[in-house]
Amino acid sequence: MAVGVRQRWERATMLAPGLLALAGVTLFPGIYLLYMSVMGWTAFSPVVRFAGVDNFRTLLRSASFWEAAGTTLLFVTLSTGLSLLLGLALALALNEDLRGRGAMRTLLTLPLIVPPVVAGFGWKFLLSSDVGVIGAFLLPLAGIRVAPMGDPQLAMASVVLADIWSKTSFMFLITLAGLQAIPPFLYEAARIDGAGFWAQLRLITLPLLKGVLIIAVILRVLDAINTFDVIFVMTQGGPGTATATFSILGWKIGFTYFDLGQAAALAVLMMVGAVFATNVLIRRTRLAG
Amino acid sequence: MRAERAAGAATPALQERPRALPRAASRRRWALALVYGFLLTYLAFVLFPLVWLLLSSLKTRADALALPPRIIFTPTFEAYEKLFTAGILMPFGNSMFVGFTNIATALVLGVPAAYALARMQGGAKQQLSFWVLSTRMAPAFGVIVPIYALMRTLGLLDTRFSVTLAHLSFNLPFAIWLLMRYFEDLPVELEEAALVDGASRWGALRHAVLPVSAPMLVAVAILVFVASWNEFILAFILTSAEARTVPVLVASLAGTMAFDWPLMSAVSAGAMVPALLLVFVVQRHITRGLTLGAIQ
Repeated sequence: MAVGVRQRWERATMLAPGLLALAGVTLFPGIYLLYMSVMGWTAFSPVVRFAGVDNFRTLLRSASFWEAAGTTLLFVTLSTGLSLLLGLALALALNEDLRGRGAMRTLLTLPLIVPPVVAGFGWKFLLSSDVGVIGAFLLPLAGIRVAPMGDPQLAMASVVLADIWSKTSFMFLITLAGLQAIPPFLYEAARIDGAGFWAQLRLITLPLLKGVLIIAVILRVLDAINTFDVIFVMTQGGPGTATATFSILGWKIGFTYFDLGQAAALAVLMMVGAVFATNVLIRRTRLAG
Repeated sequence: MRAERAAGAATPALQERPRALPRAASRRRWALALVYGFLLTYLAFVLFPLVWLLLSSLKTRADALALPPRIIFTPTFEAYEKLFTAGILMPFGNSMFVGFTNIATALVLGVPAAYALARMQGGAKQQLSFWVLSTRMAPAFGVIVPIYALMRTLGLLDTRFSVTLAHLSFNLPFAIWLLMRYFEDLPVELEEAALVDGASRWGALRHAVLPVSAPMLVAVAILVFVASWNEFILAFILTSAEARTVPVLVASLAGTMAFDWPLMSAVSAGAMVPALLLVFVVQRHITRGLTLGAIQ
């Protein structure tokens, strides 16, 4: 039929440019990455040879890989957990009919669009034990003399703090949207039955919010695994390797040692890990519900 | 907004009860004080670094380093003048270029594709959703490793083109996905009238769909721009001098300079300007776009 052919042709002309470009900027690098991960490939030597699983083997046998694994786990857990709790608390509070609600909501979305690099720099500046108003003035005033960027645990706490500052707004916005979708009559009914705040939270809000929270946590975990900017600006992974997550390690391997093959292998492993973590999160939460 | 109006009625805990006992009323007041205390503390936490950066950018170097900090000082625009004279404005131009090229490319390529996908049934759409999610799972340096190798081979390192292309790897799928979900929700009647009149799908898109979609196009454009403006690792690895973007400039100043804090703060403040403008001018769109992308 002429009409059918014409429609299909039109559809193709609409789809083709966008999807071809999409394949070009996502599929192609993905396939090329897999290829690079099995090749011996350094940016300075012109010889590229097939290396099989060598890159993966070297990586999995190196201490720095497992150290980075622990650091990443710690960073992701702290950052996701705290931003989830804070985001939920903020959303619950600002879902109430409070004075100044609109202004507070607007101000809370600010960090979301501040470049993470700026957030990292701002906190580094504030916490600096040489010139920072917190690190060099307020803390000593309280009798605490520490160098936040010089101590392994404090450095981790500092990057987590900056990351929470930067990312809690996202958790807040998603959770708030989820809360607003809960029909009000449920709460009215619960109140008539004499349910207090905590009972309402446990019996109505959290169960109905579960789907939204799962999505928020998944996105947040993926984001935290890949966090580079805040950590890089504040500590570059230091002191030592105290804040060197996979992203920082990958940057070091790929772009300071210029072993692109091994960096590609690390990226592949991270990707596999991210898919695995997402699946576990989805399955766990389904079973639990 | 419907939810906005409903929210007033949805208040679970703090609702005034008509015949509350005195004890309940005092408990309610305490709860309210606690909630405000928490909110104001958190707001202070959010605003403090921003305000501090802005203040520092208006100080002289001596004032910026003074401890105890000088809250009252004579503001100076020295640091901002230095921005112009020290020749470090170029990254702002680069970031603008990359951001606007991303908007144009993502919309021109994305709108027709998203519209066609929205009017299709079944499998293709699900696969696209999965595709988009998988691009979010991809570690940024998983993208940068192959793109770096490619740009090196082509001799395109340190060009605006390479950064633009790298940013499209997350902006294009994001834009297509958001637009697809939006077009799906548009009433089909709009375009059916045009189609019955003999218009092609392209004609229907242009004359029936696009005119009503302006707010959504603006929202997507803003999200694309902000994502590009804030992006660090791809730009950081692809550029070294000529094509550096604003975040790369901030990071390099933070790492190497003999700590000219007012200048650093001025650059950081400048890096926040587009974001601040966008939030206050079109806050509703941003919120909607961001949550739309995450939830639906």
